[in-house]
Amino acid sequence: MIEYCVLALLRDGERYGFELVRTLSEVPGMVTSEGTLYPLLSRLRRAGVVETSWRESPSGPPRRYYQLTSSGRAVLEAFSGEWASFRDAVDHFLKEKPA
Amino acid sequence: MNDSSLRPLARDYLKRLNKAAANLPRARRNELLGEIELHLSEALPVGASEAEAMTVLERLGEPAEIVAEAGAGQAPAARAGLNEWLAIPFLLIGGFIFVVGWFVGVVLLWTSRIWTVRDKLIGTLVVPGGLATAAFLVMFGGTSSGGEAICTSVSTPVGPHSPKVGNSVSHCTAAGSGGGINYLALVLLALLVVLPVLTAIYLGRRATRAEIAA
Repeated sequence: MIEYCVLALLRDGERYGFELVRTLSEVPGMVTSEGTLYPLLSRLRRAGVVETSWRESPSGPPRRYYQLTSSGRAVLEAFSGEWASFRDAVDHFLKEKPA
Repeated sequence: MNDSSLRPLARDYLKRLNKAAANLPRARRNELLGEIELHLSEALPVGASEAEAMTVLERLGEPAEIVAEAGAGQAPAARAGLNEWLAIPFLLIGGFIFVVGWFVGVVLLWTSRIWTVRDKLIGTLVVPGGLATAAFLVMFGGTSSGGEAICTSVSTPVGPHSPKVGNSVSHCTAAGSGGGINYLALVLLALLVVLPVLTAIYLGRRATRAEIAA
């Protein structure tokens, strides 16, 4: 699930690793430890759904920016559709009053 | 990257992470360490307090946890394979194949990546030659009387205390008649049989444990 949240965070543009990790960990219940997000980012990169580029930072060492590839964008779109219908299906049962 | 600006706590954390990541493929490990190091330098501005450093490290999580995540979804680097499952029988009974079989086992043992140095030392030293050592001792004595067979195995540990050859011989005669030394030799022989078997079981368990942990 977190994989798709990362892709969604990158929908509107690139972000650097630390920024991505902090954004995700600030949503309650999302991430248990920030460190485990870096291997996840590495997996996404190897799967070809994100790509990285190094950029100078205004302060401190260069930053590694992550951005969606076209296949990443396609994966995100497919997931958004599936997720919406899955969520509706679950909601249907959760909201239904027992007979 | 120059990490001299990092707090000692953060440096220590990176060291622990590096150690925990030892089994990851090199490229994967370097990437992970680089990212965590960048994270630390972003999260800890120069002059950050110790308390800040502790918070940042706590949010990062345990090195082992991060490495486990990095190892997920890939074939484990260390997994018991054919080499390991050949090494154990060769160590145990390879000595019967003109002795060289045992050496084959030792080579397989030491070239394996799944056993620790301690495991390998146990595998080599308990007992050199494996079961064949016990068998050779029995056979060696078997050519003459049973009493002398016991004598040959007993005189070895007695040797250092009585450097003179004459002493050793007198012990031999005692061995033939004295039931106590007979008994000692039997215990020694039993150990020579039991210990290699225990070692084989131990190595097998260590191998499967590495498989599960990986």
